[in-house]
Amino acid sequence: MVFLRLALANLRRHRTRSLLALFGIATSVAVLFSILSFNRGFEKGLAKELERTGIHFMVVPSGCPHEVASLVLHGSIIPKFLDLSVMDTIRNLDGIAFASPILVAQLPNPHKGRVDLAYGIEMFRVRDIKPHWQIAGSIPDDEDEIILGAEIAEHQGLKTGDTLAYPDINVTFRVAGILKKTGSQDDAFMYIPVKTAQDVFKKPSGATAIGVKVIDPALLTRTTDELSEKVPGIQIVTMNQVMHSISSLAASAKVLSLSIAIIAVIVSAVGVMNAMLMAVFERSQEIGMMRAIGASRTDIFRIILHEGIVLTLGGGFFGIVAAAAGSDLIGLFVRKAMPYAPASGMARFDAGIAAASLLFVALVGVLSGLYPAWKASKITPIEAIRG
Amino acid sequence: MIVLRDVEKIYHRGSEELHALRGLDLDVGRGEFISIVGPSGAGKSSLLHILGCLDMPTRGTVQFDQVNVEHMSERQLDAVRRDKIGFVFQQFYLMPGLSVFDNVALPKIFGRQKIHKDRIGALIDLVGLKNRMTHFPNQLSGGEMQRVAIARALANDPEIVLADEPTGNLDSENSEKIFGLLKSLHTKGYTIVMVTHNHDLAKRADRVITIRDGRIP
Repeated sequence: MVFLRLALANLRRHRTRSLLALFGIATSVAVLFSILSFNRGFEKGLAKELERTGIHFMVVPSGCPHEVASLVLHGSIIPKFLDLSVMDTIRNLDGIAFASPILVAQLPNPHKGRVDLAYGIEMFRVRDIKPHWQIAGSIPDDEDEIILGAEIAEHQGLKTGDTLAYPDINVTFRVAGILKKTGSQDDAFMYIPVKTAQDVFKKPSGATAIGVKVIDPALLTRTTDELSEKVPGIQIVTMNQVMHSISSLAASAKVLSLSIAIIAVIVSAVGVMNAMLMAVFERSQEIGMMRAIGASRTDIFRIILHEGIVLTLGGGFFGIVAAAAGSDLIGLFVRKAMPYAPASGMARFDAGIAAASLLFVALVGVLSGLYPAWKASKITPIEAIRG
Repeated sequence: MIVLRDVEKIYHRGSEELHALRGLDLDVGRGEFISIVGPSGAGKSSLLHILGCLDMPTRGTVQFDQVNVEHMSERQLDAVRRDKIGFVFQQFYLMPGLSVFDNVALPKIFGRQKIHKDRIGALIDLVGLKNRMTHFPNQLSGGEMQRVAIARALANDPEIVLADEPTGNLDSENSEKIFGLLKSLHTKGYTIVMVTHNHDLAKRADRVITIRDGRIP
């Protein structure tokens, strides 16, 4: 305890230097903690969103799996279409709960200077595909009725019963229901009956994808294998594969950012080591005195090592607190910079990650304190006292 | 208690050899109050450092309680310094971040010994700083700091107190007080060896040793 008090007192004596070293550690640990937290939050959020889709796999035209990931999470436009005759083949397979076509397309609205993204779906399947949705109003019955995502409704100031016109393609929709905020990408789309979408986009029997739910998820592989055999030119992507695909896409960014954070921690640890070495040189007489009154080399080693650990653990603590406090801000930045970022749940404080970061930084503290501590323990009383 | 025989100490500064002590013999008996005087560079501090097991002679033998210190391991030397010797330095060398109490208790901490608050308190009382127990060194005068250093030197109840210019940084009034304190310790049975430039104080010791050019003439 006295060693700790001694370490604290010594750090206080060189306040500016200690604070600068502490700031370096705090900043780098904040970055490290944020990256680890966001990685965890990203994966959790992604899994949650995929779980909410209510389907087990998607059938899409052969192509890039990342396009499929985009389609599932962002509703992106894929310039290839499935012929709906595939639907019959799927429905005739054993163990299919339902198969539902999805047609994603853009609705240009030049008068308002924007392009809306429309998601053509079977309205009677809404409850199956999106079981978690809460809709204010009703699910559309007619072909010109639509559901609006919360953000799009709010942005355009639309209520149920309002109409939405697209003069260029000569269509006017009536808002039957408005989706309550889900916190996911769903909020940014409008949902139109798939039949209407096919007419508007002049793809009378086309679909961007077919979402399929099976009765028994344990038999999923058997079903997908059978389907691949029967229908050439399609690609089957299970939700797990989508997640894997997005995760692997994010993994390279994760490795890079984590490496940078670790390098930042190491650089700041060198700063700590430098600050401590300077303090050791300046205090060599004092260290010599301690040796003279009975401190062993080990005692001196421990005192200096305590200083390194206090500095890095203190910095680590402040870094984590700062990162946790600013996590919403960082979340906003990450969401803008990163593709496929889940809309919510990324910026949560995770005690496990905080503990792991502190443990790591304590280890860094030990390592950065080793050399100055060893150097200090080598000081002989007579050298120090004689100056 | 301490026996020096034919002790030489040579320091090296680059290629130059500095003979600090040249074949010196000295016996320090238990209960003595010795002052060491001599001009600057005569070898007073070198002698004190060898007496205190802070430094080893280049040649000759040093016996502490009939044990040759040259044969001691570093750990044994740490223990001798900690348990048998109390040091008082000209610059006090108090730890700035620790209170008077903690500074005095420091040798106990290094010795992994239990700190008896009453005993530390009694030592602080002995040097007349009872009401300064929780103060920090920067709140004390030079004389007070040296008194704390003396209390610290007594923490492990040493056999001998070695004081290197203990009044060197003090005015005459405080020098007198510090000397008086050392004298009272002597009457309590402590062995005291003091290096000083102050001849008035030196001659009030039981024995005055004058050192010149590394020798006791």
